[in-house]
Amino acid sequence: MNAKSKDPERKGYRSLLRAENEAVLANIPLPLEIRVHGRGGQGGVTCAKLCALVYSRLGLFAQTFGDYGMERAGAPVRAYTRIDRNPIKNRNKIYSPGHLLILDPSLLESGAMGGVRPGSLVLLNTPDPLAFFHGAYEEFRFAVVNATQIARKHRIGTSAVVIVNTTFVGAYARVVGLPLESLKETYSSLGLINDFEAAREAYDSVTAGENINPAAVSPMVTSPGSRSSLDVIPLTELTQDLPTPLKTGSWRTQSPRYVTLKSPCNHACPAGNDIVGFVQKLENQDLDAAAEILFGTQPLPSVCGRVCPAPCMAACNRGQYDGAVNIRGLERWIGDHATNYSVTKNMSASSKKVAVAGAGPAGVSAAYTLARAGHQVVIFDNQAKLGGILRNGIPAYRLPEEALDRDLNRLLALGVEHRPHQVITSVELERLAAEFDAVILATGQADSIAPEFPGIDLPGVEQGLTFLNRVKTDGKERIRGTVAVIGGGNTALDCAGTAVRCGAERVMIVYRRGRLEMPAIKEEIEDILLEGVELILYRQPVRIIGTGSVTGLELAEVQLGAPDGSGRRRPVVTKKLSRIACDHVLIAIGQRPNMGILPSGWLVRNQRVHYDEQPVNIWLAGDLTTGDGTVAHAIGNGRRIANEALSFLEERASCSMELSSSVPEVVTADGMRFSCFTTKKAHQDRRLDVASRIEGFSEVNLGLPIENESQRCLSCGNCAHCDTCLIYCPEGIITRLNQDYFINLDYCKGCGVCVWECPRHAMEMSPQG
Amino acid sequence: MITGNHAAAMAAAMAGRANRSGRGFCSGVYPITPSTECMEFLCLQDIEKGHVVKVESEHSAMAVCVGASAAGARTFTTTGGNGLIYMSENVTVAAYLRLPVVMVVGNRAIGPPWNIWTDHSDSLTLRDSGWVQIYCWNNQEVFDAVLMAFRIAEDHRTLLPVMVCQEGFVLSHTMTLTEIAYQAQVDKFLPPLQLPHRLATTPRALGTFDTSHMIEAHREQHHAAMGMVWSAYREAQADFERIFGRHPPDPVVTYRTDDAQLALVSMGTIAETANQVVDDLRGRGLKVGSIRVCMFRPFPFDALKQAFAGIPRIAVIDRDISLGFGGALWGEARGLAEPGAIVQNFVTGLGGGDVRPEHIEEMVTEALGLTTSGPPVFIGVGE
Repeated sequence: MNAKSKDPERKGYRSLLRAENEAVLANIPLPLEIRVHGRGGQGGVTCAKLCALVYSRLGLFAQTFGDYGMERAGAPVRAYTRIDRNPIKNRNKIYSPGHLLILDPSLLESGAMGGVRPGSLVLLNTPDPLAFFHGAYEEFRFAVVNATQIARKHRIGTSAVVIVNTTFVGAYARVVGLPLESLKETYSSLGLINDFEAAREAYDSVTAGENINPAAVSPMVTSPGSRSSLDVIPLTELTQDLPTPLKTGSWRTQSPRYVTLKSPCNHACPAGNDIVGFVQKLENQDLDAAAEILFGTQPLPSVCGRVCPAPCMAACNRGQYDGAVNIRGLERWIGDHATNYSVTKNMSASSKKVAVAGAGPAGVSAAYTLARAGHQVVIFDNQAKLGGILRNGIPAYRLPEEALDRDLNRLLALGVEHRPHQVITSVELERLAAEFDAVILATGQADSIAPEFPGIDLPGVEQGLTFLNRVKTDGKERIRGTVAVIGGGNTALDCAGTAVRCGAERVMIVYRRGRLEMPAIKEEIEDILLEGVELILYRQPVRIIGTGSVTGLELAEVQLGAPDGSGRRRPVVTKKLSRIACDHVLIAIGQRPNMGILPSGWLVRNQRVHYDEQPVNIWLAGDLTTGDGTVAHAIGNGRRIANEALSFLEERASCSMELSSSVPEVVTADGMRFSCFTTKKAHQDRRLDVASRIEGFSEVNLGLPIENESQRCLSCGNCAHCDTCLIYCPEGIITRLNQDYFINLDYCKGCGVCVWECPRHAMEMSPQG
Repeated sequence: MITGNHAAAMAAAMAGRANRSGRGFCSGVYPITPSTECMEFLCLQDIEKGHVVKVESEHSAMAVCVGASAAGARTFTTTGGNGLIYMSENVTVAAYLRLPVVMVVGNRAIGPPWNIWTDHSDSLTLRDSGWVQIYCWNNQEVFDAVLMAFRIAEDHRTLLPVMVCQEGFVLSHTMTLTEIAYQAQVDKFLPPLQLPHRLATTPRALGTFDTSHMIEAHREQHHAAMGMVWSAYREAQADFERIFGRHPPDPVVTYRTDDAQLALVSMGTIAETANQVVDDLRGRGLKVGSIRVCMFRPFPFDALKQAFAGIPRIAVIDRDISLGFGGALWGEARGLAEPGAIVQNFVTGLGGGDVRPEHIEEMVTEALGLTTSGPPVFIGVGE
């Protein structure tokens, strides 16, 4: 079949179709020109195509094409459709459309109305009702539909970019009188039948103005596209970028913004230290600024920098890349080296008198917080020197006296008064409550737990803390024979290490679970093994053997059962028994608080003493109530309770914000772009060689050789001013002034590249408007 | 006694030194026969404030020139044949950014099949790239044309890149006596480059988006700048002659055409052969003349039309072929002849084919016998 014989047949088919639809076509002015205005992503070009296809189904000739901008989603897009009874030969753009379809109301202000003749149909997608436009566009057949709402309801597109075209064409069909059936057929042929219900809803909900007033002139109508006579600067005269007249910011559906999220280390620190803050200051070579931040929460950096189990390091995102940052080492660096830094004190507050009972970490932390706030603080303690468990319970090879004193001297420099040898009794407590404006009770877990098995009273059996205290106070003592330490925490390790240094021939640690379950600091376990201590695991002592003095321990084998509340598997003691020979037994299975000092009738709620249902001026801090068992926890709790007392003293509302659980989002390793960082191994602490260690009580861990470990901090969730956002912004509209970035929202299209590229999750996209 | 390649490199180096009180000299280079010796020679030069950057391709070589030129340096490179074709994207960039880069093209046939010898098809492929094109006929002209090229490229009325074309081997590798200038003379002829749109302290983007109306205006401005080449060239010729004592050729040079009944039109070294043939044939009583087109872009319509005046037969010799059309020179020149004149195209010397006097005599004989002009005729094919 050649073209000649085919043509009349096609023509015949079209005229047949036209004849069938003559009633519909009678109302449509032909030739017809339709112009569609939309934004990239709304489907404007397809909208024009759908119109063309519907008319084509009625037997008319149609032409349709898009007029794309140079940009992406959100950019103004135009599309054109021509309809006629005869084949269409004009390929120009449409300057004076008979039907004007506007998919986005904001386009009204950017020339969409250009060239539209009075009497033309203007159909607008808008959330506003027809009445909103009263008095405007009176010279047109003006109609409105909320196609976005309908399309969103039918889930066409995404919640951010709703595709309105198929819905909108339903409204168009109604206002021009196109049969819904033709629409349905068209949608079916294009595989868009799922959108048809939305179109039908728009068909039903479109509203049009009644009368046309040809004499009215709408303010936004501009003349048809005139030939541009703009001057174009020669490239040879161009010496700077021209500001683009196109405010691309109007295309944005989401905005980037800078955020400060919680780093996992800060989140994990029981003391509430701003770790990212002080490490970044160290990275900037500003030791005093780092100290300023650290001392904001932490009175004992030289202590914590030595004995903290460092949950921050366990949480460090870098741990999932090339090893956690040695945060403990950096904290110690500040404690040991920021000797020029003096802690500041608020001098303006009206001074109140506060008593702190107990000179352990919680008491010290509370006293520090209150003294810095400008109050008179007196610490009452039953020992000769400040420090509590830190001084008596931690051997010098882990925490030298001078390190502890360095921290405590800062406290005394704040004017805190220390009253030693004061035994706190309930009578004394009542006296303090009457004499002082507030009392913080932080006597810790003063009572060592004694196991209840036979032989506990035999000579040679001793509480570990008693042993540690004696050695520390009286100096090195000579131990002969074999020492068995019962327990798996740091105190057990300290007992074992001290026994080794005292000359014990053999030292064993007996623990009822496995090595991984031991609550002691992992590095300390490594150390103690190097020093020759043996671990006897999965064994529960059931009896101390001996007549007159200890000769051995009877142990029962332990199997691990289901996990307990702490997540550790519960030890199940079996009847399989064995024995070990030993000459000394040190008990280190924990302590408990002595609550007997509280006068009768005193009740504790939320760490505050209540009497007769009323809160009184006494708070409990630290291990006495929490039993968390680490210095860092005690410091954190001491400060928080001190702040509670402060708000009482200063007659402010409770500052429970710090206690609140609504913390910002924590940045996990998934949120980091590790590919932006080069791998760098963590700097290890220097350690004394084993032979030198066991000769005496010299400090084992000698700390970091240099503070440049701070370079490894990724500053998770905290802007490090790396300029990545600025460099990657495809629009070049991010600028920086000193430490602040500015995004020019006039031009930001919300592409999200800056957020995607941010190495440390310090930016995020947020919904627009 | 130096080759065309060395003449070009010496001129480029002297031009580079002449910008030592300005923003210096830069050249991005990549070797290709027949231009390799030019870039090698340049690499050995010690140029104050000069950098010859060896890169991995011709495309990058021109990219170096584009960047350096935008930063205000005097820039030069050399290539030919497929090297030029590979470079071509950035060749257009230099032009459309209006950067005064100078490039010596060692004209070489385009492969495959591979051929290292000369014809004009490489540079003529880029006749529409917005560059000025000068075609040389001897080593002296190569040296002089490079200096002239910098002068007209950097003229504020033009600001256009310039291609200096020398036929591969025929000029590039042929040693002849060539007068080299003193640096002081070159300094005088080429003042430091002041690029008005150079990248300075204000950061900005080069080559951003042009809308339709902007690109139309920019093309119109570029075309107008091409029109300014004539006056810039004339003034440069006068200065050149004053300083160096030699007169660079006009864009169109005629030879014994006054009473000619037939003119041979050609570019490059073929014109020298054509002039010999003219002398021979004049000796035998034939009134023939020769016209050399020295500048192909901008195309010297007026000068060529004037040269054609009164000549009834014109034989246009092309060392190139626009396939499916004919010679490029013939295509541009044929409309400029007297009404009724016969303009016949002869295509010859492709891929280094030796164009000898007898070939040109053959063209004359053929052209004189025509009653009307026909399709292009290939001469010397398969010899």
